[in-house]
Amino acid sequence: MSNPTILCIDDEALGLQIRKAVLERAGYQVLTAVDGATGLTLFRGHAIDGVVLDYYMPEMDGGAVAEAMRRERPAIPIMLLSAYINLPADVVSLVDVTLLKGEGPHELLEKLRLMLGSAASSGADEGHASGGAA
Amino acid sequence: MKLPEFNRTLRQLVTLPIVLLVLLAGFVVWQILAATQAQRALDHSDQVTAQLQELQSQFIDQETGLRGYQLTSDPTMLEPWLGATAPIQTHFANLRGLVSDDDAQLQSVGDLEVRYSQWLGFANAVLNQDPASLNAAGMNQRGKVMMDGLRSATAAMLRHEQKLCAERSHHARWLQRRELVSLLVSALIVGIFLALFTRHHVHAVSASYLRRIAEIMQRSQELSESQQWFQTTLESIGDAVIACNNRGAVSFMNAVAERLTGWSLADAKGKPLAKVFHIINEQTREVCENPVEKVRRLKQVIGLANHTLLVARDGREYVIDDSAAPITSSGARMVGVVLVFRDVTEERRVQAALVASEKLAVAGRLAASIAHEIHNPLDSVANLHFLLEQEPDPEKRAEYLRLAQQELGRTMQISRTMLSLYREPRAPIQIDLRELIEGVLLLLDRRVQNQGIQLGTSIAGELVVEGFPAELRQVFTNLIVNAIEAAGPKGRVEIRLDRAESAELHGAGAIIEVADSGPGIAPEAAKKLFQPFFTTKGADGTGLGLWVSMGIVQKHGGAISLVESANQDLSGACIRVFLPARTLAEAGQPAA
Repeated sequence: MSNPTILCIDDEALGLQIRKAVLERAGYQVLTAVDGATGLTLFRGHAIDGVVLDYYMPEMDGGAVAEAMRRERPAIPIMLLSAYINLPADVVSLVDVTLLKGEGPHELLEKLRLMLGSAASSGADEGHASGGAA
Repeated sequence: MKLPEFNRTLRQLVTLPIVLLVLLAGFVVWQILAATQAQRALDHSDQVTAQLQELQSQFIDQETGLRGYQLTSDPTMLEPWLGATAPIQTHFANLRGLVSDDDAQLQSVGDLEVRYSQWLGFANAVLNQDPASLNAAGMNQRGKVMMDGLRSATAAMLRHEQKLCAERSHHARWLQRRELVSLLVSALIVGIFLALFTRHHVHAVSASYLRRIAEIMQRSQELSESQQWFQTTLESIGDAVIACNNRGAVSFMNAVAERLTGWSLADAKGKPLAKVFHIINEQTREVCENPVEKVRRLKQVIGLANHTLLVARDGREYVIDDSAAPITSSGARMVGVVLVFRDVTEERRVQAALVASEKLAVAGRLAASIAHEIHNPLDSVANLHFLLEQEPDPEKRAEYLRLAQQELGRTMQISRTMLSLYREPRAPIQIDLRELIEGVLLLLDRRVQNQGIQLGTSIAGELVVEGFPAELRQVFTNLIVNAIEAAGPKGRVEIRLDRAESAELHGAGAIIEVADSGPGIAPEAAKKLFQPFFTTKGADGTGLGLWVSMGIVQKHGGAISLVESANQDLSGACIRVFLPARTLAEAGQPAA
């Protein structure tokens, strides 16, 4: 449990790889997906401690992905990353944390750490449950 | 009373009295001739009487001579006898001539001649006798009887003639009386008739004249009222109106025209139009053609050239929109020109503001996707920087630097494309349309991807037109964004770029068509498509996009229209833009 697993979903393949490197450097295990559908498959098939989700994606946007995840395993914390300032309010209320792209890796890591910490304190046993209880 | 009737009455008034007076004169002449004839007959009787008296006296002379000779046998006593012989013949001849028209008298003259020749026979017998037997009683008795007969015949003739004379004199007097009476009566009749006739006709003419005057007064009043009405109407309308005569001198201005030109009607009246209505080209500041001359030349309603500035008397300038029309008389002859114009300075400002606001709206529409495009690589660069700080492996560092460079390059390209939307060259430049449209698509790429739009482009090689790239980018951004929005998620958008050969209505250039798979545009909406503030997007649209696009395309000398898509599969709208290879656009010209 020393290395939490993070699922990263973003249609920007290059940005996704770089973000993965940053998170790995910070000690996380990282799974990546370039679209929502692949992301949901990984979400279902792996033990995941947190999700870093891009909002603006073709086919299925971050809001739809977050909604599906909440339906299945609501305890898993989700961070919504976006270059947009004006995110729809219902989507913002659905996720734990939002972060503006470009705020930098320190902000990303700090917010991720806080999100995982608060999730662990509220329900530590759920974090590692394989296959999910929901 | 109509004019022909009036003329006929006048003719009657002149000719009828003349005819009547001529008739009267004829009648008088006839009377005079009759009187003259009576007088002549009277004279004739006098002549006959005189001849008879003369004849009688000659007879006496001859008898006296004969008696003297008988008594004295002295031949000298026969002198009167001899002296009377020739005159008696003459008198007989005269008498016959005078009474040739009177058979009774002619017969009497014959009888007288016979008696005289008988007596003459007796007298000659006396003269040839022996003077001693001259005083035979029987002979004297015979001679006396013969002479008495002669005398009594002469006297009878005289009496007859005197009776004739008395009759003729009576006739002449009667004629005179008749002449006088008939003259008086006919003059009276003609006078009365003329008086009545003239009175009637003069009354008719005078009544008609009075009626006509009343009509003219009425008409003049109506005319004055109608003029007042028109004047008030012209004064009340919001447009400026100037009317001038055929020679171009100002004859009327309404209050708005007075305010805009700075001339009062009193000052401007009669002045040449060019002085009062001083118009120049907004850009070149050259004096515009006098509208009166132009109307006279073209003989039809004209709109004045765009960008016309009216310079008022006090030097103030107004952008005006105006038209000029000929004023024609009923005979289709041009008698003047009327100018109608209005101050569009404010309108022009509002239009410019709308164009500017639409430019901002386009920027606003793109701002979100531009921010996204820039933030994505920037996020990567920040992450790479973080990794570089902690990466000791030179190979990995080099890889991170390369990636950072790549992401920065992407950022710069996006920002360059964005800037090109706003940065405009001063004069039209050569634009590669393919490059321009690809630039627009780059900015919209994320949107296309996100909506899952199937974007097809068909570009016929390199196409270069003259123009202002930022404005044309604005046009195509508008058209493509509209098409994406109409097509909806997973829809299709086709962009076709083709060469346009020179044709009757336009020169060579390029055709750009943007078609979508959306619901299409309803016919009633199609009519208003290019009007300002018309939108099908509700609160999300400004309704200015296509209006401004049309302004830009038209400024380039091109055309924009809604057409049937050439592609049967695409059911939605298809907008076609034609751009000429050589633009008409000038720098600094507003788009709409």
